[in-house]
Amino acid sequence: MAVCIAVIAKENYPLYIRSTPTENELKFHYMVHTSLDVVDEKISAMGKALVDQRELYLGLLYPTEDYKVYGYVTNSKVKFVMVVDSSNTALRDNEIRSMFRKLHNSYTDVMCNPFYNPGDRIQSRAFENMVTSMMIQVC
Amino acid sequence: MSRPAHKRPEYHKINKDLFVLTYGALVAQLCKDYEKDEDVNRYLDKMGYGIGTRLVEDFLARSCVRRCHSYSEIIDIIAQVAFKMYLGITPSVVCHNSSRNEFSLILDKNPLAEFVEELPAGRSALCYCNLLCGVIRGALEMVHLAADVTFLQDRLKGDSVTEIGITFLKKLDEKKYRRKK
Repeated sequence: MAVCIAVIAKENYPLYIRSTPTENELKFHYMVHTSLDVVDEKISAMGKALVDQRELYLGLLYPTEDYKVYGYVTNSKVKFVMVVDSSNTALRDNEIRSMFRKLHNSYTDVMCNPFYNPGDRIQSRAFENMVTSMMIQVC
Repeated sequence: MSRPAHKRPEYHKINKDLFVLTYGALVAQLCKDYEKDEDVNRYLDKMGYGIGTRLVEDFLARSCVRRCHSYSEIIDIIAQVAFKMYLGITPSVVCHNSSRNEFSLILDKNPLAEFVEELPAGRSALCYCNLLCGVIRGALEMVHLAADVTFLQDRLKGDSVTEIGITFLKKLDEKKYRRKK
């Protein structure tokens, strides 16, 4: 179950960031911000190999004592960052991948809205509902 | 080497997403060009009218419908043949009055507004699919039937379904022979 989900634009500002309300939100914002460096590092490391083989899912970015941070980057350099609880050992890699895939699909639907300008904050209700379902999903 | 006597017209298909995104871009650009919702609605209707006058020829050529004798037959053909052919949906038909010249088409799923969740702020009077109204109006006018076509309900404005109201204005003349849509 994710505790924080963020969508970061190509220019590294947040398009959407949401964390479970019980925790200190600023802490998560800071974690997402620091994870962007790791994301950039991974992208540049992969860039040396053939671009075709570059996967969108970046995997575990870095673990802290309470949380684990996962990353996913699209071809248009939009990054999805997910923070999950470390105590939740039942979450496997496949599940994280499928969560990112769902995020990516919802993001595509938001982009297809003709009234949404790329670079605006995401305010779509369908996207919110999908993120809510991921955050309160009981494992 | 001989050609078949009657060749069916070919249906060239395109990707639905491309069509829906093109329509969305059209509406978004109109919204940027004109400030008032009424202007955007009016231009969408005008564009639809131009499309409808041309589309009806294509429709009549492809569908080979029989001559209609009443307004309700015409509406049934619009709903079951024309909408199915061009948009892939079949709206249901409701008749409103006893003189049988006011009808509604109820669309439970509108493919043109698939990616639009709600109208943007400040655009609450926008009829997103007003092009459809213009198309129907133009098509009916080309077969010599004047009609008034508007949106009665719109899912994008919060109603439960999308409803297009069609009111026939002139009396149907059965004596003159003409193909009716």
